[in-house]
Amino acid sequence: MSRIKWFVSLILLLALTLLTASAFAQDAAPEVLVTADWLEQNLEDPNVRIIEVSVNPGVFERGHIPGAVNFVWHTDFVNPLERDVVSAERFQELLRGAGVNDDTTVILYGDSNNWFAAWGAWIFNLYGFEDVRLLDGGRVKWEADGRPLSTDSATFEAGSVTIGEADDELRALKPEVLSIVEGETLASLIDIRSPAEYNGEIFAPEGVQELAIRAGHIPGALNVPWGQNVNEDGTFKSLEELQVLYGGLGVDGSQPIVTYCRIGERAALTWFVLHELLGYDVALYDGSWTEWGNSVGVPVENPAGTVWGGQ
Amino acid sequence: MSDTTLGGGVLRDAVPASLAFSRSDALRLLGGTLVIVAVVVGAYLLHDADGYGAKSSISLLLGAALGITFARGRFCFFCILRDWIEKRDSTGMYAILAALAVGGIGYAVVFGAFLPNSFSGRLPPDAHIGPVSWVLVAAGGAFGIGMALSGACISGHLYRLGEGYSRAPVALLGSVVGFGLGFFTWQSVYLSTLTNAPVVWLPAMLGYGGSLALHLALLTIIAVALLRLLPALTAEMPERLTPVRLFNLVFRQRWGPLVTGAIVGIIGMIAYFRVEPLGVTSQIGSIARTTLDNAGLLADRLNGLDGFAGCATQVVQTITENGWLIGGLVVGSFAVSLIANRFQPSSLTLKSGVTALGGGILMGWGSMLALGCTVGTLMSGISAFALSGWVFAAAGIGGVWLGIRLGLHRWG
Repeated sequence: MSRIKWFVSLILLLALTLLTASAFAQDAAPEVLVTADWLEQNLEDPNVRIIEVSVNPGVFERGHIPGAVNFVWHTDFVNPLERDVVSAERFQELLRGAGVNDDTTVILYGDSNNWFAAWGAWIFNLYGFEDVRLLDGGRVKWEADGRPLSTDSATFEAGSVTIGEADDELRALKPEVLSIVEGETLASLIDIRSPAEYNGEIFAPEGVQELAIRAGHIPGALNVPWGQNVNEDGTFKSLEELQVLYGGLGVDGSQPIVTYCRIGERAALTWFVLHELLGYDVALYDGSWTEWGNSVGVPVENPAGTVWGGQ
Repeated sequence: MSDTTLGGGVLRDAVPASLAFSRSDALRLLGGTLVIVAVVVGAYLLHDADGYGAKSSISLLLGAALGITFARGRFCFFCILRDWIEKRDSTGMYAILAALAVGGIGYAVVFGAFLPNSFSGRLPPDAHIGPVSWVLVAAGGAFGIGMALSGACISGHLYRLGEGYSRAPVALLGSVVGFGLGFFTWQSVYLSTLTNAPVVWLPAMLGYGGSLALHLALLTIIAVALLRLLPALTAEMPERLTPVRLFNLVFRQRWGPLVTGAIVGIIGMIAYFRVEPLGVTSQIGSIARTTLDNAGLLADRLNGLDGFAGCATQVVQTITENGWLIGGLVVGSFAVSLIANRFQPSSLTLKSGVTALGGGILMGWGSMLALGCTVGTLMSGISAFALSGWVFAAAGIGGVWLGIRLGLHRWG
């Protein structure tokens, strides 16, 4: 073997090693986000199930990503009678109806910046589903890119997924939040509502009926409105930008985090950013302000001092 | 004046096919065409305008198409019902039947994609399927009497506004007032009646195929029953289709009822598929609700109202998609009326103004409580296989019949 051939072989071997290593590195990173390009190339993959979770009714029906099925956030992901998330049995039934197996890759997307698709991702994670990902940019970017929509209603053979007990680590209930406020548990609270709601200037955003009869926020909570997580086109900011954003506020993953909003759904977007993208220890307080602001005997911070007038 | 139409039926308003095309006709044709071009340009601009987009754009175009069709086919529910009840001429009824038949087929097609399993316990999104109770009967009856008193239904007034009908703006103003009154009635009847009223959607029991079969069978029975009131057809003279004859057929003669109805049915299907079910009262009701809200007169929350599909009202500061639809309707009607030389502003007397206002109030009140009018609750509702549509139709016809028997339509 000549010296040159030996040298070329060595280079090739090195290159191959590097490639393999980088591929492994990619596999090791959590795959929780897909691009619209990736999704468009994988529309036909029988192991990929696309689920739309939109805030507004009638959006899915008038055109959705080809092959997608529709989950309705206010009936499918919740217990419509008691205030709670969907039960394991009902969730399993829904997923099987959508042809989901244990090894299916579920891609969630929706309107309004993936608000309720992210809430869906939290429910999937809460129930320990293995591979659930969000479409980066959601429905808005898919449409803005000029990608195809379909009105076909896809039907699938019943799936065989098994849904077990919910993982309490991802969910914060009121007593846990209270113990954070009282300093018994060390954790950061993040309020993702608008500054006006956080400061107690208003009880709820304009046009919204569900009121809490106290204004303000949970004592000690940081205010990081959800919109700071995303770019103008609806995609998530880069990991570096997100680390700088939250790190600047002292949220660096060194202690657990609890996110909340008004009714408990939008905060799932910030939960997704911190837990899924940055890998921090994060729980969602789905009771949120509509529980806290109506609870008797819990501490409240209200910088604006607005007094509820009984209307 | 000879009595021929596109479809060969005998109708009033027909003109001789050979009527000449004058210089003023050419000017009016140019004017009307410019108006239609303006609508198209407006729709194009609306598509990219901040806060609007494709749905507003389509709504404007569909509204214009509806205005053109309503005006050229004289698709006025009251005129059609009066011809039937008073003049024993059922010609126009076939336009309504055709619209419902084509609309029902269209809705069945769209439903199949929107909600493949009609037995799932869900209702298709946005479809006008309302609660059935005595409130709906009272609302339909009041609406019918209001039609007789004011000379047209709400959609009729909208397209006749484009023809310069002087009672139309007064009646439409009355309907805003009536809507306001309706909101106060709503608060009391919601808890006493509407919470327990059944929302009956035929496909939940019969499936889409069964519902469509029943729908078409009912329309066929009505169509056969009305045949004896169809005037004798006259033969059309064979004639070359010259540009002038084409102009006369399209712009001067009333479009045949089947053609008119089929176009209305297709527009209804497209509207449901792309935007929302056809309806013309949502913007009117929203004006009433916003005004009352600004004046602090109405409760922020109307009990349960936002939980029903229908011509939904909201407190708004902008023009809704429904606003673009009715704007397009008026302008489309104006354009073809100008071309057809039917744009003739009439004068308003005190008597015709007061009856138009009173009729408008009754119609506004009725369409608030029925969650829509002859377009939204009757046409879009029946096309969607909702029992509420049929009940509203029966009550509305009853109201018109009573109004005509009492001679209310002669007061104006």
